[in-house]
Amino acid sequence: MQLKTRQLALCAILTALALGLSVMENLFPVTAAIPLPGVKLGLANIVTLFALYELGAAPALTILVARCLLGSLFAGNASALLFSLMGGVLAMLVMIALKRWQKLSVFGVSIGGAAAHNIGQIGAAVITLGDTAVLGYLPILLGVSLITGTLTGFITALLVRAMQNLHLSHS
Amino acid sequence: MQSSSPKLRPTAWDSLIVLAVIVLAIGTAIVFYGGLGGGDHITVTITHRGETVEKVMLEALNEEKTVTIDGTYQLTVVLSRDGVWVSESNCPSQDCLHTGTVSRAGQSIVCLPEQVVIRLDGKSDGPDIILG
Repeated sequence: MQLKTRQLALCAILTALALGLSVMENLFPVTAAIPLPGVKLGLANIVTLFALYELGAAPALTILVARCLLGSLFAGNASALLFSLMGGVLAMLVMIALKRWQKLSVFGVSIGGAAAHNIGQIGAAVITLGDTAVLGYLPILLGVSLITGTLTGFITALLVRAMQNLHLSHS
Repeated sequence: MQSSSPKLRPTAWDSLIVLAVIVLAIGTAIVFYGGLGGGDHITVTITHRGETVEKVMLEALNEEKTVTIDGTYQLTVVLSRDGVWVSESNCPSQDCLHTGTVSRAGQSIVCLPEQVVIRLDGKSDGPDIILG
């Protein structure tokens, strides 16, 4: 089936794009400019969100898990896998749920996902440290996720709008 | 599977999500920082990979004390009556240095790469803190 091949190719491209974005973000961390531990733009989330809107929930989740596995392989860090998986999967599940609620736009879905991502990562930190002290960062990170979530939502909206004219993913 | 027309412009309902995140942020802030204020009797506990390496009351310090943590990365923690800070670390993220000085109960400095938690607890006249 042509559509299946097309979807598979698109998934692979998006996974590569997400990987590239997260590697780039690690090279130029926002924390260098804003001294807040753990603050990230979450550029790779643009890809996840875009995939959710263009391809659906299952492909988006597949792309996310593939990105997390390959990303931690690139970083050569096993504990990074727990962080990215817990943050990423929780964000994905929240975004899938929020998107089903038709009243929300891509902005609401994106902000919810960004907040869930931070909660998941703090959860991973609590597990690895065996200490709840990191929970103190949650209020700050949640506040920042309002900004980063709006930003990724805005970019995803632009992308989805552009794709509506291209009809690449569903012809 | 595709929703016919995805909403790409912010809707009024989106503000509900924003509100929920704000409420959650304020809620966790109150839980974590609401019970603060007891300025005296602050105990500093430094744990490294789950094990307590240092536990000292701030007011008992007459001069600055440094604690070195040696693992994959090396951290130097300075403790004084005025607070606690990480003065040196060769970890990649440098988050612990960016945190700066902590001096109030409930505050903490966390180093994820080396799994170090520096925690300040108040209201601890006796040895009644149990860290899970």
